[in-house]
Amino acid sequence: MNDVLAAVLEALAVLTYVALNAFVLIWLERKIAGHIQRRIGPLRVGGPGGSLQSLADGIKLFSKEDFRPGGRDGIIWWLAPLVSMTPAVMVFIAIPFGQHLIIHDMNIGLIYITSITSFGLLGVFMAGWGSNNKYSLLGAMRAGAQLFSYEIPAILSTIGVVLAAGSLSLETIVAKQSAHWFLFPQILGFIVFYVAILAETNRTPFDLAEAESELVGGYFTEYSGIRWAMFPFAEYGTLFTGCALATTLFLGGWHGPLFLPGWVWFLIKTYILVFIAMWIRWTLPRVRIDQLMDLGWKFLIPLSLINILGTGAYIALVR
Amino acid sequence: MSLPRTVWNTVKSLVVGHAVTAREIATRPITVFYPEEKPEFPTGSRSVPVLKVNEESGYINCTSCGLCERTCPPGCIEITQAVDPATNKKKPWPHLYTLDLSHCMVCNLCVEACPFDALEMLDVPELATYQVQDLKFHKEQLLDLWKTGKAIRIAEGQPMPSK
Repeated sequence: MNDVLAAVLEALAVLTYVALNAFVLIWLERKIAGHIQRRIGPLRVGGPGGSLQSLADGIKLFSKEDFRPGGRDGIIWWLAPLVSMTPAVMVFIAIPFGQHLIIHDMNIGLIYITSITSFGLLGVFMAGWGSNNKYSLLGAMRAGAQLFSYEIPAILSTIGVVLAAGSLSLETIVAKQSAHWFLFPQILGFIVFYVAILAETNRTPFDLAEAESELVGGYFTEYSGIRWAMFPFAEYGTLFTGCALATTLFLGGWHGPLFLPGWVWFLIKTYILVFIAMWIRWTLPRVRIDQLMDLGWKFLIPLSLINILGTGAYIALVR
Repeated sequence: MSLPRTVWNTVKSLVVGHAVTAREIATRPITVFYPEEKPEFPTGSRSVPVLKVNEESGYINCTSCGLCERTCPPGCIEITQAVDPATNKKKPWPHLYTLDLSHCMVCNLCVEACPFDALEMLDVPELATYQVQDLKFHKEQLLDLWKTGKAIRIAEGQPMPSK
């Protein structure tokens, strides 16, 4: 009984955090976009700087008509937002926010996270297929190619860290970084991982799946209201977990030079990475699909293999 | 292009591009909070031709010669000359001067045609009304409008001294 209660509370905590995080990140994204374009961004709703804008948008989305396209593939169309959102939430279980601030420390935490994030592709493809719309299907096909291509460098780039730490448990990996972060020996791995998570969250310059200037809205063209809102929720959740994973693997997790609580350091580093992702989004134009595939297969995968080779050689020869 | 050169160009363009956007984040936004904060209009902005009052004599400069009425391309100006009821002689000022802003295309031709310096372009753009009839301005309204704004003489390029 206590286990069930604890599990329910944990799930509630994670869901609340995901929702709050998405609200804050959407507001932040709009603010950053505004200031990069010399505008101001949301301003009127709520407290300073329009900080309650996302809440107002959420209420609007909840109260919108639940529009269903004709010719949809019933249950697949209905399930797609849930399938897309669930992995984004489930990843939070294995992320160490602080020394003991982790919901469930698995000894295969890294494998758990990489396998769970791959499920996001399923939701995207279900949305594209179930909508009975050419733009959705095109977007989903692109998303499929893209996510499949960038899973590989993302996983390969983490192997260097695993070799250096000698563990797949994320808590152990962070504990091993108490002396020095893995960023500098693993700089190649970090770059590959960061580019790959940008591609996996479908963000510009890799937003081919939802390219609004070519594909209306990509795979979620036919969704509206709260169903539509689940996709951005999942996107911002995945963005946060990707950056949190980069912090955990390369930036020393909860370790920091000053006497702040561990989780503060963790959140500072993660949100700096999130900010950089937004900065990149509003700077770079969208790449073509062939450039995207070239970058993934011809550049990032060899780079991550070189990283593994270097790390392995160092461990075999020096240690 | 060789691979090292491609990589170098890529890294260079990434750094330059992000430096540009970082600079934009740091600079002040150019947004003007319009209803609360009025923007500075550039010299020569025009919204409606208005009738001028000679500040020395206190009378309007208009002699109702009708040149503006004839010049106006959309024909939005209507002038009725004043008539002395006793002698039935025409007087050199307008009895009625009507300007229909809903037709006016703010071309400045009336101001240029006026030989008596009786018309001026106003720079106050907030003249929207709920009824299109309300855009028909009479002599008194045009005189009042003249007092509200900073009228601009296009010909000499100099703003008028404030009233």
